[in-house]
Amino acid sequence: MTHAAPIVDVIEYERGRPPARSVDPVTARVIAGALDSIALEVGHKLTRMSYSSIIRESEDFGVALLDARGRQICECALSTPLQLGPIPGYLRGILRLFEERGDRFEEGDVVIHNSPYFGASHGPDVGFCVPVFHRGDLVGFSFTTAHHLDIGSMTPGSCGIVDAVDAYAEGLQFKAIKCYERGRRNEAVWRLLRDNVRASDMVVGDMEAQVAACHIGAQRYLELLERYGRDTVEAATEELMNYSERMLRQEIERLPDGTYSAEGHIDGFADDPDPSRRDQPIKVTVTVAGDTLTVDLTGTAPQVPDRAINMPLVGTVDVAIYVTLRSILLDQATHEHVPQNSGLVRPIRIVAERGSLANPTFPCATIARFCPGNIVADTLMAALAPICPDRVAAGTANMKVIAYSGVVDQTYWVYMDITEGAYGGRLGRDGVDAVDVLYANTRNNPIEDIEAHYPLRVTRYELRTDRSGAGRWRGGMGSIRDMQFQERAHMSLEGDGHRHPPRGAFGGYDGTPGDVVLIKRDGTELHLPSKFQSRWAEAGDVIRTVSPCAAGYGDPLERDPQQVLDDVLDEFISLESARTLYGVVIDGESKTVDHAATRELRAAMSRHASVGSE
Amino acid sequence: MKLAGVDVGGTFTDVIVVDTASRQVRIHKVPSTPDDPSQGLVEGLAATGPDAREVDFLAHGTTIATNSLLQHDGARVGMITTRGFRDILHIARHQRPLHYSIQMEVPWQDRALIRRRYRKVVTERMGPRGEVITPLDEQEVAAAARELREAGVESIVIGFINSYRNPEHEERARSIVEEVAPEAFVTTSASLFPQFREYERFTSAAINGFVGLKVRRYLRRLVERMRETGMHAELRLMRSNGGVATAEFAARYPATLLLSGPAAGVLAGAHVGRACGRHHLITFDMGGTSADIGIVTERGIVEATARDTFVAGYPVLIPMIDVHSVGAGGGSVAYVDAGGAFRVGPRSAGARPGPACYGLGGSEPTVTDANLVLGRLRADHFLGGEMAVEPALAHRAVEELGARLGLSALDAAAGIVTLVDHHMANAIRSRTIQKGHDPRRFTLVAFGGAGPLHAAAVARLLGVPEVIVPVYPGITSAMGLLSSDLKYDLIQNEFMLDTEADLDRLNADFDRLDAEARAQLRRDGVPEESVHLLHAADCRYVGQGYELRVPMPEGRLSAEGIHQLREAFNRLHREEYGHAFPDNPIELVNVRVVATGRLPRMPEVPAPTGGGLASALVDRAGVHFAHNGRLEAHPTALYERMQLPVGTRLEGPAVLLQADSTVVVPPAATAEVLPSGDLLILV
Repeated sequence: MTHAAPIVDVIEYERGRPPARSVDPVTARVIAGALDSIALEVGHKLTRMSYSSIIRESEDFGVALLDARGRQICECALSTPLQLGPIPGYLRGILRLFEERGDRFEEGDVVIHNSPYFGASHGPDVGFCVPVFHRGDLVGFSFTTAHHLDIGSMTPGSCGIVDAVDAYAEGLQFKAIKCYERGRRNEAVWRLLRDNVRASDMVVGDMEAQVAACHIGAQRYLELLERYGRDTVEAATEELMNYSERMLRQEIERLPDGTYSAEGHIDGFADDPDPSRRDQPIKVTVTVAGDTLTVDLTGTAPQVPDRAINMPLVGTVDVAIYVTLRSILLDQATHEHVPQNSGLVRPIRIVAERGSLANPTFPCATIARFCPGNIVADTLMAALAPICPDRVAAGTANMKVIAYSGVVDQTYWVYMDITEGAYGGRLGRDGVDAVDVLYANTRNNPIEDIEAHYPLRVTRYELRTDRSGAGRWRGGMGSIRDMQFQERAHMSLEGDGHRHPPRGAFGGYDGTPGDVVLIKRDGTELHLPSKFQSRWAEAGDVIRTVSPCAAGYGDPLERDPQQVLDDVLDEFISLESARTLYGVVIDGESKTVDHAATRELRAAMSRHASVGSE
Repeated sequence: MKLAGVDVGGTFTDVIVVDTASRQVRIHKVPSTPDDPSQGLVEGLAATGPDAREVDFLAHGTTIATNSLLQHDGARVGMITTRGFRDILHIARHQRPLHYSIQMEVPWQDRALIRRRYRKVVTERMGPRGEVITPLDEQEVAAAARELREAGVESIVIGFINSYRNPEHEERARSIVEEVAPEAFVTTSASLFPQFREYERFTSAAINGFVGLKVRRYLRRLVERMRETGMHAELRLMRSNGGVATAEFAARYPATLLLSGPAAGVLAGAHVGRACGRHHLITFDMGGTSADIGIVTERGIVEATARDTFVAGYPVLIPMIDVHSVGAGGGSVAYVDAGGAFRVGPRSAGARPGPACYGLGGSEPTVTDANLVLGRLRADHFLGGEMAVEPALAHRAVEELGARLGLSALDAAAGIVTLVDHHMANAIRSRTIQKGHDPRRFTLVAFGGAGPLHAAAVARLLGVPEVIVPVYPGITSAMGLLSSDLKYDLIQNEFMLDTEADLDRLNADFDRLDAEARAQLRRDGVPEESVHLLHAADCRYVGQGYELRVPMPEGRLSAEGIHQLREAFNRLHREEYGHAFPDNPIELVNVRVVATGRLPRMPEVPAPTGGGLASALVDRAGVHFAHNGRLEAHPTALYERMQLPVGTRLEGPAVLLQADSTVVVPPAATAEVLPSGDLLILV
């Protein structure tokens, strides 16, 4: 039997060239500032006009302007990277489909698009695209994406559709459809949409807000062209992309050339009898060569043909990689502000075997790709740790998203709740507790808002203490969130990190996996896997989501005893952990560090550790 | 009657004393005394003359609350909260402050206002409609208060879930805490501002608790010191909402003082503009490190939406004037970054080393240096001639920067000014064009040390046709203090659909809030006829998450009133976002009452009368302007502003020198001294 060599796909971009026309440095900065404020305005208006909490509270949306060649020239500083990063891919997908069909953009068109095999991130993240025409020429695009509550999948809501067997089971597929043609609303498209999604008032309201927001962006871009002239603006945006590229290349160049790799694991389907659907590896190999960096995902598990955790290479995997590299190499906290645009992808090559989890083939389902994508990001960070120890965090705690739904008066309500992960410890700092992590950055929904509008009650929302990875700098704590059903309702969940703890770094300890527990009204507890689709809960039942806790950084025996004491006083860790993990002896009565006993205990513990390692 | 306004800033304390009978005005600037700002205040007042102790009314702007928060120097605060929710303040909205960062700081975790060890939980629970789900366990409250007292906690915050709908448990807990720990400073979340969104409300309460003791002690000291010096003036504190309050009220709700200073600036700008008959105003206060921008329309001073306000990284869910602060001032540093881009600010050279021209060791060029190089600032008239600067140092610093960008020193200087002007213009756009206000209908009121220097250029970038520069640009904020009213914001949450409006309930809400407001103003000594009440509702389309405030018709609410509300909301939504969804039902999220009690006002300030163009002329010199796309030296007249009488007209380019600021009238602009003494520039 012969094996055909696997087909490998490569994403790479050309190096930027200096603009044909030069722009003076002052005008260049003026235009850069104007672009930032346009994108911000559009994002601001989109959140305020939108209906569902997933956009307006969680800020799970993206806004960008692109040039005529489909390169992103600016993005909205609000909203989430996972929505922003994919936008150029959406547009390339639309252009590809137009080319196949012989279609083209005309003034007044609005295009709706969500096909993950044509650049979209996943089905529920619906993109709207408005072409910008200046004196008859197509000069760019105003684009928004947003996560919608429902897209007509097999079960209510747009997360936790983990059992979708293919792309069709995920819901409606829009492949570059004109929902407005030359300014005229294509009613059939909107009717079809309205009839095929749940909670359609909210979904359609959100989509209309997206269209309105796109128009504002287009209008502002035109004003900019009028003010400075098209040639000047285009030269300035070209230079802006080159600038971002230059900044990233400089940082890559400072890294030692070589090859670095790491492996992570996703839970897969913990309750699936087929072992190949559990604990799949994600393999990342980074090669630094001069000012270019290659991320190769070869060795990552094969795609799962009939489950929804496959990650589109364009739209999910590439975004996880770009966002992670940017966050490490051009960290906003320590580095000059570098505009996020298509210049930043040029120094990066991505390689993935076709037919793997990181590069699935049609019609594999992809709707639940969110959590595996975070493992790609986390594993990439682990691969880079040895060459930039001052810029990374130890292993990250992954997230969970739950869709709750029910029917009242023959109408659906759908509410999506995003819970949090945590970051691992960092050189000089503990990990960040209970936040959205890595390539997403959403917000939670206020408890008081949820309770006022849905038959749900939050009965606990607190830190998950004493479980984060010990280290000189402690891993971040996750959260525990209890949601009590006030009526019989339906739920689906996607998450990860129940089987593999976040990995410790530089002598720090691993974190702790997460959990989901259904606490029945009668008190019986049922532990559920990190992914399940379509379960019913009765009034009085509680679903408890327990985040993983992130990993530690550095040897816990080197942690400042005062910090350990503070952690005990704040009940972040127990007295017991202070002693057994950190070797710090604290007098339970006086709440002070016994320094002599601590020195002795730490000496004994490190002797024991070095004996153990021999 | 003698009125005084005292604005205590970080560096200077500005004092203005006005005699309403003689219309005599005295102004004074003294260095602030940060260790005890009341000292500078009283000394500054005394310096205006021997009759300072006869001042009847003293309005005061203070940074004491702001600094306490910014420097994270406040009380040891404890919290009593609902069981199960100990970490709301720590988890916050679970969003990272930066998208692209691993090494970020998270203010609410790294600089917790209330450490976890001082956060106690008690058994109680309110439902979303204000119904009691679990009664308050009073023993637990008492035990928690005892533990906190024993731990040395001086300030206790009580924050319960859903208290915005029913504050009963919070209020009951307050009385228990006050019994157990009578010395503690107690804040309940709903009494501060009963808005939904627990993290933001609890954080606002935590801020109140954190800065509370400092403010209370300061106010006590101030009152004492006033008494010692024989002053009997009624004291009023400027609050973030642009109103003033009594010292007693301010001491109870110090978090409402966070924008005390900047709010006075906006008020001042509004006052000056209105006195000149203008009602669409952009107030523009530019100093050494930042520029503060406020907007005034025919509906009044624009307030921030509660959800968009952050101080030191913490959300503040309290009504505030929308003061947009950008890191652009005279001290903003210009540099070339690692990617070769030309940047100005937000980093500031501060007072030390300050701009290169100060000669205090600063080698990087600042906006001030650029203005010197261009000839818009004069070395011999810097701060009215009171400070020596070295133009050669400014020139060298700008030249070196230019060399790295391939620009001449003059081009680099003009570039610095252009970038900072655009930065401010963008900030103003975000508050005008982006909110549906056309800047072409507005007047820019420019003050602060650097405002009048840049105002005309910024106005041109925005299409704003005219600029007004007040008589005393450097102490305008202190004057703003004397244009304020007592002002209280009251709110009641409803979550009611317009299609199912319960008129009786809404009218009952308004009756209750009106009565509360009147009672507060009565306590403040305001006569009934000086009380003014405004009704409004915070509305959104059902399902949206952001509300717009819509004025309500006066008098009892009827079905017709609801209809009008709906129309007004659709209009406002279109104005604000460029789009409306008129078929969708509307949710009344909150009803509000804004209560004001009129206070004595500052009379018009007498304008300069003597002098004339000829006697005011100080010099003629070449000043550089980029005009019609070319940067070149224009022969420019320099005048002493105080020597220009009312009615004087002049043509740009001109530079007007005065003690606390410099006004630039660019080429092709004209200027006129208005009857009020304020300068009008037609750009």
